[in-house]
Amino acid sequence: MNQWLDERLHISRLNDKFLRKAFPVHHSFFLGEITLFSLIILIITGIVLALSYEPSNSLVVNSFDPGTADKPNMLPAAYHSVLKLNAMPFGDMLRRVHHWMANIMVAAAVIHMMRIYFTGAFKKPREINWWIGMLLLIFAALTAVTGYILPYDNYSYNTVKVVYGIAASIPWIGTWLAQAAFAGNFPGDGIIPRIYGYHIMLLPGILLALTGAHMLIMIKQKHTQPQYAKRIAYKKIVGVPLLTQQTPIMLMLTLLFAGIVLLFAAFIPVHPSEFFGPPSTTPINNIKPDWYLLWIFGALAIIPSFEFNIFGGIIGSEFTGAILLPTVVLGAMFAVPMLDRSKDNNYYAENPTNHPVRLAIGTAFMALLIVMSVAGYKPDLISANVLTTANANTVLWILIFVVPAVTYFATIGIVRGIRALREADERDSLAHSAAADD
Amino acid sequence: MTRYRKQDPEITRRRFINAAMGTTATVGIVSLVGVLGTANPVFRLTRDKMPPVEGDVLVHASASKEGEVIKVSELSEQLIRAWPMGKDKEGNNLIRKGDPNNVLALYRFPKGQIVAPTNLDATVDGEIVAYSDICTHAGCSVSDDDQQEGQMKCPCHSGQYDPKRGCVVVGGPPPRPLAQLPIKQDGDKLVVAGFFLENPYPFTESEWEARKEAVKAQLA
Repeated sequence: MNQWLDERLHISRLNDKFLRKAFPVHHSFFLGEITLFSLIILIITGIVLALSYEPSNSLVVNSFDPGTADKPNMLPAAYHSVLKLNAMPFGDMLRRVHHWMANIMVAAAVIHMMRIYFTGAFKKPREINWWIGMLLLIFAALTAVTGYILPYDNYSYNTVKVVYGIAASIPWIGTWLAQAAFAGNFPGDGIIPRIYGYHIMLLPGILLALTGAHMLIMIKQKHTQPQYAKRIAYKKIVGVPLLTQQTPIMLMLTLLFAGIVLLFAAFIPVHPSEFFGPPSTTPINNIKPDWYLLWIFGALAIIPSFEFNIFGGIIGSEFTGAILLPTVVLGAMFAVPMLDRSKDNNYYAENPTNHPVRLAIGTAFMALLIVMSVAGYKPDLISANVLTTANANTVLWILIFVVPAVTYFATIGIVRGIRALREADERDSLAHSAAADD
Repeated sequence: MTRYRKQDPEITRRRFINAAMGTTATVGIVSLVGVLGTANPVFRLTRDKMPPVEGDVLVHASASKEGEVIKVSELSEQLIRAWPMGKDKEGNNLIRKGDPNNVLALYRFPKGQIVAPTNLDATVDGEIVAYSDICTHAGCSVSDDDQQEGQMKCPCHSGQYDPKRGCVVVGGPPPRPLAQLPIKQDGDKLVVAGFFLENPYPFTESEWEARKEAVKAQLA
């Protein structure tokens, strides 16, 4: 059969070119794979969910609690279909798997990016893939947000309202843009079909295309080689081939990973639509976005109120906190490969401690995002009496500047310590080996 | 020997292909923009989407009591959410909840506690006051503050308002106070006495003026 296929499809060329691709042997190289597996499982569970979901916000009679003939109990069709989905065997579990997988995909992507950043794998020639990776991160977050909105319970309703408000806060074009994106004034009759289109067609399409480009470039450029490869065979590709060595490892990883997420889904509930209820005028207390958007939420919670008018466009705290600030943060991340001026191609993953400034900037940046995320818990911190309403903003603003600065200098200090120890070790072993030679 | 000289065609292949591709791209982009234009549906101001207008009766907005007329005796220092209820063209009652930004916040404070910049003429006896319940920041519904008695807090981004002082912003990111709605008492009912005094969310000042004119024109 191999020959039959080979004569028609030239499998042997494919084998030589792609299936023999060498994978470096190091656990940190599995992070990207986990992100990819999550995407695949998300697409599969998403397709199954889409089979039972009704993308419409028109009102239908609640089949679980129809009310009376003169006063029927009406629910948005999308929310009603989610209730029915939850009532299906393993329906709730399916939703949870989809939800957990989305969270884990973003988490794996973020840790994957940390690995790339701290080992200098973004350097020439891999700048393009860093940028594609950034786009993947942004589009993954957008896909997640649109996915949040689909159950159209009260939580989703409040979320989409805030997202609409943020889009509308862009000066000059905001109102038009928000209406075009969300099918008219909030909540237009077509809002759920529109979001559904984004979530199941447009955004996954973009994600798949970007993922394809990401992988093709990675195959073309090869992985950065771990440090041990330098010692074994300098300037040679070292690793295990995709077929047949890497594939079973990948399969095992997928199955193990899928198993863990199924366990998560079985025992940890997420987004309980029945609890939030249908869209209503009653807001949900302590509503919060997912962890990867919490830093923007935190910024909005502590930014002071202001509003000024430039040439008829209004620039307010909402635009500044939810659009300008993330643009600056993401722009800084986009700019990372441009800060490296080396002309030579980088083949080997670098030891982070050999680049203390890069390491310290990275940890300080993460500390900043963490403090901003903590600021998102401002109401909870106040109700737990950790902070008071009067001092919360001041304290959090001070922390936003102080914690990253402390992290920066602490990292530099620790790296110096590590280096000093390492050099002492080297001197030591040198002295001893010298003594042994005599 | 004849010298053959290659005659250039009038238009080279390269130029032809470039021109053809340029034309195709232009036509494509123009038609795409045309299609995208339809992404933004036309807004029609129907009566259920109108902001509260003079003569509307205030009814409960909470799910359990939705549509029941609010009695003055029910009001307290705890927020009560209300919809304005007007009439449709046939004269039937119509709750104006087609626009969720129409939801209102009602309070009743002891006399003397409500002070400027609240417009006292627009309250009932300086005791009952009505505001737009939509946070001017990102458009969430504002609730009672569970930390500070008699204050309001938006659960979305911690915007805080003081309903006794014209709902001025006392914390968080909202840019403007909540708009006050003039109300009057009619027996045990509460009736809207006019348009919001300031531009409510999501209107800018000029948009709000335009909307008021549009509503007046349609009702006239």
